[in-house]
Amino acid sequence: MASVQISGIEKYFGDTHVIRGIDINIADGEFCVLVGPSGCGKSTLLRMIAGLEEIDEGQISIGARVVNSVPPKQRDIAMVFQNYALYPHMSVRENMSFSLQLAKKSKPEIEQRVHKAADILGLVPYLDRYPRQLSGGQRQRVAMGRAIVRNPQVFLFDEPLSNLDAKLRVQMRTEIRELHQRLKTTSVYVTHDQTEAMTMADKIVLMQDGVVEQAGAPLDLYDRPANTFVARFIGSPAMNLIPGVARSTGDGHVEFEGGVTLPLPAGARAAEGQSVLYGMRPEHCVVGASGLPVEVVVVEPTGADTQLYCRFKGQEMTATVRDRTDCRSGDRIALAPDLNRAHLFDAASGVRLVA
Amino acid sequence: MAVETTMSNTRHEVRTPAAKRRVKAAKGRRLWPFLLPSAIVSFFILIYPLCYALYLSLFSYYLDSGVSNFVGLGNYTDLLGDGRFWSSLQRTLLIVVAAVSLEFCVGLAIAYGLYRLTFGVRTLNLLMFLPHIITPVVAALFLKWIFAGRWGLLDLILGSMGIFSPDWLGDPMWARISVVLADAWQFTPFMILVLYAGLNTVDQSQIEAAQIDGAAGWQILFRIMLPSIRPLIVFVLTMRMMDAFRYFDTIYVLTSGGPGSATETLTMQTYALAFRLFEVGKASALGVLTLVIVLLLAAILIGVVGRSKEKSQ
Repeated sequence: MASVQISGIEKYFGDTHVIRGIDINIADGEFCVLVGPSGCGKSTLLRMIAGLEEIDEGQISIGARVVNSVPPKQRDIAMVFQNYALYPHMSVRENMSFSLQLAKKSKPEIEQRVHKAADILGLVPYLDRYPRQLSGGQRQRVAMGRAIVRNPQVFLFDEPLSNLDAKLRVQMRTEIRELHQRLKTTSVYVTHDQTEAMTMADKIVLMQDGVVEQAGAPLDLYDRPANTFVARFIGSPAMNLIPGVARSTGDGHVEFEGGVTLPLPAGARAAEGQSVLYGMRPEHCVVGASGLPVEVVVVEPTGADTQLYCRFKGQEMTATVRDRTDCRSGDRIALAPDLNRAHLFDAASGVRLVA
Repeated sequence: MAVETTMSNTRHEVRTPAAKRRVKAAKGRRLWPFLLPSAIVSFFILIYPLCYALYLSLFSYYLDSGVSNFVGLGNYTDLLGDGRFWSSLQRTLLIVVAAVSLEFCVGLAIAYGLYRLTFGVRTLNLLMFLPHIITPVVAALFLKWIFAGRWGLLDLILGSMGIFSPDWLGDPMWARISVVLADAWQFTPFMILVLYAGLNTVDQSQIEAAQIDGAAGWQILFRIMLPSIRPLIVFVLTMRMMDAFRYFDTIYVLTSGGPGSATETLTMQTYALAFRLFEVGKASALGVLTLVIVLLLAAILIGVVGRSKEKSQ
């Protein structure tokens, strides 16, 4: 196990600047998830940690060792690929033992380590099968087995669950998390799925256009998003961001189109007349007598809760109601924020406004 | 009543295996007209000549005399009892194995080199393919000037370095080597092209996984990439093996099977039997025997090299 330090990393593909000065510290034993939309540079960054892409500027260290010019095989890492990358002509046993054979380990040691990894992952009955004879979930496990059998300092996962169906993805998510708790190996995990990031990470690094928008514990990003990009990306359904103008009369409030006002969120401050975005998570909206007057467009009961898709002055809004509701499409209701959990952002820069 | 009607409809939709077979057969009949044109062409250029050769091989038939006597398998027993046939077969096998092995090894090395190259691949590929697109007889004439004694290009180059060159086409051993080199010169580009295309189909993440697993470049090539393209290797080796068995034009121009019978292959012997000795019946029998040998070797090749094909995805 080892920590991973990434400092001042830059990467160009031709004229395209894909990674723009990234600094991340991943502590020993931490499960760090790199998340962001397609093309944000998260996979490139992971491949740079693996040594599969060259680093144009900056430095990556694994443990105390700078690995910029160290080839992948000497970095003491293991990687799980999106398409599993199993060797189709080798059995599960051969796939898992390939790296140990190359490292010239003794036969008994190889057998013992492969068996131990297979035992952890429930792969013992499949050791003599070929990848084509396995289901998607089993292949995924073999890919992980191939990684853990090496007992590396760092695990790298490149969107390992994106080829699985929704149910299996949830199951494998838990298995990977369990495996991490058991092995406590430093892990860097790339995904574009914010739910995966929220549920698995000790630390989330949210990226966009080659820069880190925010890094921190999942609930930090959820509770205190640094900007509107983070606010929109983390959480499902996404946060409602309603444009308004800050007013400093009284304790301060935000005036919306049509003259409706809401008090400033707790801990937020804005200058008189400043254009702002008022952030309310759907699950923190309260249906009541006061608040923003909205028209219900669609009601979606999911069983556990109900999503109300509403419209306020042409702006889409979503509210999640825990209790059963008799709201119908076309109803006019008022949505009020939980002020302790509401957010305020500068409309021009998108930055969170705090006192 | 309504329920009964629904049930009977449902029963009606379930097809028995016999009904399924009938539907499938009907579909097949509708598709036959599409195959007919190519089937007719194949019959006249492939099946008919083959059957005619088989038929001729059962006769003692001399082209100049026009006399044709049925001898049954006499031509075959004559050939199998003739030492010349066995030595031709031995020479053919030697030339085929040497040429195809050389082409595969050199082709693989160059294809891997091209695969690793980051620029200029297209130009190099095109240049290397040139020998393959030259008409074999023209290529053989080039090669004759290259291998020619005293004034040939190879002699001049070696001579300028102070090396005394052998009699490329006059010495039996060197004539065989020259014939193998000539075939390799012409057909290695085909190997390069096919293997290069094959190497490019190998999943990049498998190669990267092997890099992380600790495999060196050659280990990745031999343990990951080549097993992945095994079906393609079987295909290209079989094609080249069958082609090399028919190797005729270049040998004809370079050595005409000589010196003596040093480069007389089965096809050269067939040609000599048919067009020098006019023994068409025996030549046909030799053609049929060659076909059987090639089929057997192809089956062995597919069986041995392609053995693990099933294991691959």
